Amino acid sequence: MPSKQVELLQGTLDMLILKTLRLGPLHGLGIAERIEQVTQGTFQVKPGSLFPALHRMEEKGWLGASWGESENKRRAKYYALTKAGRRQLETETERWKQISLAVARALEAN
Amino acid sequence: MEWLARTGSFARNLFHRPQIDQELDREVSSYVELLAEQKVKKGLGRDEALRQARIELGGAAQVQEEVRRVRAGAWLGTFWQDLKYGARILRNNPGFTVVAALTFAIGIGANATIFSMVNELLLRPLPVEKPEQLTYLLGRSTEHWGNTFSYPDFEDIRNQTEGVFSDVAVEELFHMDGLSYAGKTQTMWSNYVSTNFFTMLGIRPALGSFIPPDSSLAGNEPVLVVGYSFWKSHLGGDPNIVGQHASVNGRAVTIVGVAPEGFGGTFNLVDVQGYLPVSFADSEPADKLNRQDRERGAGLLVARLKPGVTLAKAQAVLEVVANRLADQYPKIHKGLMLRPVQLGNGLTNSTGENPLPIMSALFLTLAGLVLVLAAANLANLLLVRALARNREMAVRSALGAARARLIRQVLTETALLVLLGFAGGMIFGVGGSRTVSSLPLQTDFPFVLAFPFDWRVFCYALAGALVVALICGLVPAWRASSADLNEVMRESARNLSPRRQRFRSVLVVAQVGGSLMLLIVAGLFVRSLRNVQHTDLGFDPDQVMNFTMDVHHAGLEEVHGREFYDQLLVRAHSLPGVESASLAQEVALGLEVMGGEIKIPGRQEVPGQPKASANCNSVSPDYFKVLRIPILRGRGILESDSASAMHVAVISQAMAERYWPGRDPLGQQFTQLQHPDRPFQVVGVFKDARMTELTGPIEPFFFMPIAQNYIARETLQVRTSGKPSAAAKPVLEMIHSIQPALPVGDVQSMNQVMDGLGGFFIYRLGAAMAGALGLLGLALAIVGVYGVISYSAAQRTHEIGIRMALGALPGQAVKAIFRQGLIIVGCGIVLGVLAAAAIAKLVGSFLVGVSAIDPVTYLGVSLLLAAIALLASFIPARRASRVDPVIALRHE
Repeated sequence: MPSKQVELLQGTLDMLILKTLRLGPLHGLGIAERIEQVTQGTFQVKPGSLFPALHRMEEKGWLGASWGESENKRRAKYYALTKAGRRQLETETERWKQISLAVARALEAN
Repeated sequence: MEWLARTGSFARNLFHRPQIDQELDREVSSYVELLAEQKVKKGLGRDEALRQARIELGGAAQVQEEVRRVRAGAWLGTFWQDLKYGARILRNNPGFTVVAALTFAIGIGANATIFSMVNELLLRPLPVEKPEQLTYLLGRSTEHWGNTFSYPDFEDIRNQTEGVFSDVAVEELFHMDGLSYAGKTQTMWSNYVSTNFFTMLGIRPALGSFIPPDSSLAGNEPVLVVGYSFWKSHLGGDPNIVGQHASVNGRAVTIVGVAPEGFGGTFNLVDVQGYLPVSFADSEPADKLNRQDRERGAGLLVARLKPGVTLAKAQAVLEVVANRLADQYPKIHKGLMLRPVQLGNGLTNSTGENPLPIMSALFLTLAGLVLVLAAANLANLLLVRALARNREMAVRSALGAARARLIRQVLTETALLVLLGFAGGMIFGVGGSRTVSSLPLQTDFPFVLAFPFDWRVFCYALAGALVVALICGLVPAWRASSADLNEVMRESARNLSPRRQRFRSVLVVAQVGGSLMLLIVAGLFVRSLRNVQHTDLGFDPDQVMNFTMDVHHAGLEEVHGREFYDQLLVRAHSLPGVESASLAQEVALGLEVMGGEIKIPGRQEVPGQPKASANCNSVSPDYFKVLRIPILRGRGILESDSASAMHVAVISQAMAERYWPGRDPLGQQFTQLQHPDRPFQVVGVFKDARMTELTGPIEPFFFMPIAQNYIARETLQVRTSGKPSAAAKPVLEMIHSIQPALPVGDVQSMNQVMDGLGGFFIYRLGAAMAGALGLLGLALAIVGVYGVISYSAAQRTHEIGIRMALGALPGQAVKAIFRQGLIIVGCGIVLGVLAAAAIAKLVGSFLVGVSAIDPVTYLGVSLLLAAIALLASFIPARRASRVDPVIALRHE
C-alpha cells in the first residue's frame, strides 16, 4: 500500500522509536516492524534512516545498546530506553500533543 | 547532560574508530540476516530471501555511510580528507605553492616585526603589580609641563593625596655614578629613589632585599640595589653579592639586593643599573646638593591609585593640593597646576606628550598595507587556480558534492597555504625583530632596544593571517563552487569570463596603487633623512673623538678635579695625532641638554608668550677650535676667564638677534633663573650651530667658560689629524696614567654620536623601515602585474594566432596586450597618489625639510613604478607576439 506511506516529519522518527522502546529492548529490525505495525503501515522505516537515528540517539544518551540473542538464536544489537530517553519521550510527547492540538484547531477554524 | 554523552561519543569515535565501524558492520549484517529469516519463514528460498533482504536494506555501504555522517565528530573525518587532498594538490604544484606562501610570509613577517616594536613601546605593561594603577605626575607653573618635583614638594603632595593614592614615591633619574666593586671602577647609571619605591611598585627582589624602609623616605643607610642585567653583565652575576661592600663615587655602600629580572625602572627603553636611596645625593657635589631646596627639581613622582579611584578623581584632589602649594609658596608655585598621567607601560618623555602612538599607527598602517598587497597576490593566484579547477569542481558538484563541502575543500587548501606562509612569516618576523633589536645606539647609556617576540606579537600575526586566509580563500572558493556544469563543459577550461578577468584586474590595480603609496612614503622618509644628513650643522663633526669621565667617580673633589682636567688638556695637546683638545660639559647633539629660563635686564615678558630662555654648555677655550665653530664678533673663551674673573658668555647669532635685536650684543648682561646673583657678560657671538636639535629652528644658545662652572663630569674632545678612532688608545692610556681607576665612557667619534639617538638614528630607522616596506610592496606589485598580464596573454594566444595569420604584425599584437597593462598601471598610479595624499598628514609630522605632498617625490616614484610595472607587462606581451600562428591555432 505505497500510497498510504507518508514522509516522516523531522523529529517524529525519534519520538516513534522512543515510544516503541518503552515496552522493552528491541533490535533494529524489531523497531522498524513495530512502528510499521502500530501505524498500520503508514510509516515504513527504512534502514537508511533507522540506523542513523538509532546511532544518533545512542550518542545523545537516550538509548543504551547491547548485543543479545534473538528468539532464533541470532546475535543482534538490542536498543533500550535510558533514563534520559524516558525524559526525552515525555517532553517530545508533550510537545507533539501541543502541536497536533494547535494544528487541529487551525484546520477546524473557519 | 546531553553534551556529556556527545563528548564521550566524540572521543570514542575518534579513538576507537575501527571497533565502532566493525560493530556497525555486524549490526547491519545481523539486520539482513534477521530480515532474511523472516522471509524464509514466509516460504522463500534462503538465497532469494537474502537477496530480497539486501535489496530492502538499500546497500550496506550507503547505510553505514549515513550512520557515519550523523556521528559526533563526523566533520573531523571530512576535514582530515580535505587536508590530505589539499596537501597533495599543493605538493603537485610547487611553483604556485612557493610563490603564494612566500608572498604571504613576507606580508606576515613585516607585520610581526613592526608589531613587535609597537608591542614593546606601547602595549607591554611594566613588570610590576597592577601596572594599570600606576600614574606619574606632571606639574606646570610656567608654559611648559614638566615631570620633575623638588623633594619638599614630593613630601607635601604625598601627605595631601592619601585619599586617592595608596602611595607616592620619588625617583631621581639617571645619575651617572662610578661604582667600585671587586677592585674595579665602572660607570653605573642609577636612580635615586625614596625608600617606598619598590614596595609601592609591589615587586620582589631577585636576591637579598630592597632599600630598608624608614620614616623620612629618604633612606638613612648607604645601600645599593643593583639592576638584574647589570648584575649579570657587569658584576659577574655573583650569587653572593648581597651584603658585599662597594663604593659609589668614593662613598662606601653595602649592596643589599638585586632587582627582579626584567625590571629596569619606570622608563621603557632604559634599563637602570643601580638604585640608591634619595639621601645619597646629599653628600654629592654642589650641583646635586640641597634636598630641602623647594626650587630644585629633583625627581619624578610615581603614584599608585587606590583601588576604584579614577584619574579624574585624583586630578580633582591634585587641583586642591596645587592651589594650596601656590598659596603657600607664591614665589615658586604661582599658578601651579598638577595632573596625573597613566604610567601604562613606562614613560617615554618628560612632557606627557607621546609621539609613539602616531608613529606606530603610521608604520602599522604601512605594514598592514604590505599584508593587503600580499593578500591580493594570494587571492589572485587562488583565482587563477580556481579557474583551472572549474572542471573538477563542476564534475564533483554534478556527482553530488554539496556546495558547502566544496567550499570547505577549497578553504582547507587555502588554510594549508596560509599556514605554510604563516610559518615562513614567523621566521621572517623573528629575524626582523632581532635585527631591529640589535641596532647600534652609539651610547654607553643603558638603552635597551629589545623587541621580544612574545605571545602578543604571535597572536597579532596569527589574527592577520586568519583574516587574510578567510577573505582570500572565500572569494575563489565561492566562485569555484558555483561552477555550472553545463557552462563549464561547453566552454573551454582556458576561457575566462570577462567579469572574472575584470575582478583580477581590479585587484592588480589596487596592488599597484598600494605599492605606490608605500613607495611614496618611503621616498619621503629617504628624502627627509638626506635633508637631515645634509643639514648645515655649523660645526665640523669629522675627526673628533670623545671621552666622557666623571672625576667624582675616582673620589676627586673640586680642587683636585680642576687640577686633573688642566693636566689632561695639556697632555692631550702633546699627544701625536692630536691637533687640538677641549673639554665640554655636554656633547653637541648628545642626549642631555642644559639650559632654561634667563632674565635680561630691561626686557618685558609678554604674558602668554614664551619667556626668554637659552640652552647652554660650559667649555674650555679650545672648544671652538676643536669643533670649528667660527666666532663672528668679539672673542671666544680665553684662559683668562678664570673662576675669579668676571662671568662671561659667548652667545649664538640666534640669541643675539632674539634678545638684543638691532643692538650691539657685546657688553650686554643676562642671568640664569637659578643664579640671579651671577650675571653673565656677553663677550662674543658665534655662528649658529646645531648644538641640541638637528631639525627645527635654531634656538638661542650660549657657551660659558668651564673654569667658571666647574662640573666633575666632562667630555674630552680631541681633533685628530688621522682617523679619530686611532686616538682612542693613546688618549685612554694617557688618562689612566694620571688616574688609573677612572672609568671613561662613551669613547666614540663625533660622527658616531651623530648616528645615535640624538642624531640621525630615528631618521635612519624610519627611512629603513619605510624603505623596506616600500620595496616589499613593489616586489608584490610586480608579481601581480606580471601574473595578470601573462595570464591574459596566454589566454589570447589563440586570438593572436588568428590575427597574425590574417596578416597582423607582431607589434600590433603586442600593443593590444600592452594596452591592458597600461590601463592597469595608470589606474593604479592615480589610486596610489590619492592614497598617499590621504595619509600625508600622518606622515608629515615625521618629515624634515620635505612636504608630505612633495611633488618631486610623487612624480619621481610614480615614474619609477610605472617603468617597472610596464616592463613587467611588456615581457609577457612580447612573448605572446612571438607565437607561431600555426602552433597557436592548433593549440585548442
